[in-house]
Amino acid sequence: MIHHLALTLEQRPEVLERVLRVVRHRGFRICNMNMTEQDDKFLQLNMAVDSDKAVELLSRQLDKLLDVTQCVVTTPSAMSQTVNG
Amino acid sequence: MEQGQTISGSQAVIEVLAAHGVDTVFGYPGGAIMPIYDAIYGSSVKHLLCRHEQGAAFAAVGYARASGKVGVCFATSGPGATNLITGLADAMMDSIPVVAITGQVSSAVIGTDAFQEMDVLGLSLSCTKHSFMVGSLDELIPTLYRAFEIAASGRPGPVLVDIPKDIQVGQLEYKTPLQAVAVEMAIDSDAVAAANTLIRNAKQPMLYAGGGVGMAGAVSELRDFIARTGMPSVCTLKALGAVEPTTAGYLGMLGMHGNQAANHAVQECDLLLVVGARFDDRVTGKLNTFAPNAKVIHLDIDAAEQGKLRQPEVALTGELQQLLPQLGQMLDIAPWQQHVAELAEQYAWRYDRPGELIYAPRMLKQLADKLPNDSVVSCDVGQHQMWVAQHMWFRKPEDHLSSAGFGTMGFGLPAAIGAQISRPEATVVTVSGDGSFMMNVQELTTIKRRKLPVKILLIDNQRLGMVKQWQQLFFDERYSETNLSDNPDFVTLASAFDIPGRTITQSAEVEGALDEMLNAPGAYLLHVRIDEAFNVWPLVPPGAANSDMIEDLEA
Repeated sequence: MIHHLALTLEQRPEVLERVLRVVRHRGFRICNMNMTEQDDKFLQLNMAVDSDKAVELLSRQLDKLLDVTQCVVTTPSAMSQTVNG
Repeated sequence: MEQGQTISGSQAVIEVLAAHGVDTVFGYPGGAIMPIYDAIYGSSVKHLLCRHEQGAAFAAVGYARASGKVGVCFATSGPGATNLITGLADAMMDSIPVVAITGQVSSAVIGTDAFQEMDVLGLSLSCTKHSFMVGSLDELIPTLYRAFEIAASGRPGPVLVDIPKDIQVGQLEYKTPLQAVAVEMAIDSDAVAAANTLIRNAKQPMLYAGGGVGMAGAVSELRDFIARTGMPSVCTLKALGAVEPTTAGYLGMLGMHGNQAANHAVQECDLLLVVGARFDDRVTGKLNTFAPNAKVIHLDIDAAEQGKLRQPEVALTGELQQLLPQLGQMLDIAPWQQHVAELAEQYAWRYDRPGELIYAPRMLKQLADKLPNDSVVSCDVGQHQMWVAQHMWFRKPEDHLSSAGFGTMGFGLPAAIGAQISRPEATVVTVSGDGSFMMNVQELTTIKRRKLPVKILLIDNQRLGMVKQWQQLFFDERYSETNLSDNPDFVTLASAFDIPGRTITQSAEVEGALDEMLNAPGAYLLHVRIDEAFNVWPLVPPGAANSDMIEDLEA
């Protein structure tokens, strides 16, 4: 299933590697990606990822990265129905 | 240090360590970190030279685990940094607060394949909580402060700071950065209410406590919860010590080599209260058969653990110290408590194995009973590690250092060194196996160097025992590369490092030898020969449910 993610990243030389590594390691395949510089502090990264897994398994891992200031899933799955999930 | 004073980047590193109360750093010098080693020379921060960077990393882990403080290690660029990696990965898997500082080649030659250059920031991405390469002198002090804050806050973990040599020698004005005020996580009162409803309605609840309890400093909150509710409990490998062993309804460790009572009770429960644990495969066995009838309440500081492997009915993300007091009341579950007590009695460990050979489980029980209040046991990985977990008992999680998530052989000896440094008054014992011991055996020199009174209990079956056990059970007794009968003479080896010791082979010798080891004024190695036929029981076979444990085939 294809999921869309919108991330705001701090400008660090390694931040894109950090995000891509987590996407791969947690079992998602990137099908589409676009990154733009917002200003000298932040980057905007939009991704479409493919996996059988619930997208929250990825978005929560990305949220934990300290250089990821925001991670929004634009295609929610059933998992988000848990209390405080 | 006065604000605004001009010092070198290297001096600033040492100042930041001192400002964070770091009394000892573990490390190994080399070309690209020489300015920092020059700055620590004669400073207020002590340094303990380990004899391999992996030993330094594990010593920092042991220091952190035994004390709750942040452990710090140093290494040079290239091979120094790559040698740290295993220790950082271990700290990552067990959520241990460590700050690793590595020297890097000068900024001008980064990316030119300079001597001892390696992309350490790239290497760090998968095995640290966070990492930095310092890009300018202005960034140095704020980055180091941030590294300490990240390592210790939230779910702790290792942080690496790679510092190019030109930054180390550059001059800067010392300034303490403004510290961000920690924001308390809000508690979801709806989720708390939902959790309390589930707890109140449960007929057969079980508490499954993990390493997060100790990491969060929530041991007393957990014990209060158990006292308040009477809920039966089990612990993971890393949580051992969180529940007092004599607590009513406490069944010990669950999982692959857990106690049968612990596994059966979890399989039968109708509510599983998970506190700071993460449904590791060594805990759950076949995941979709784990606690099949249970509703799940999952408490964790890390939202990414909620639903990672088991979807909870109620997820409570936050500080365990704040969450636990909001949950539970005295429960009316007498028939379940009675059943749990019967399971505990039915599957209680037995130590009455006859024969003159040394029975390691009995020896470790004896050792636990002899240890003073202030004691730390570190162990390596394999059969002896599981015997320690099954048969020793601990007063608190900080007293039991075991490479749980990463399962790193070679952990025990350097971790014991770190523990002895952070808790100098404690009796520190490392329980090792003949395979694991050889993996960081060079650290015997570190014990000699600082005259540390670390006790080494070396259980020797001349085999790579856990692998041998699996070959016997699951690989048709084809013993590929697990015969270690050409081991060195361990007592002679220890004596080369001025560490006295003796070898025992008979059950009757155990009591006296343990006393001799514990009463030795300095380091001591007790070499214990056991029969290679002894395996770790019970066991959940790979791919099986926890209800299908197999017992000793020979007993």
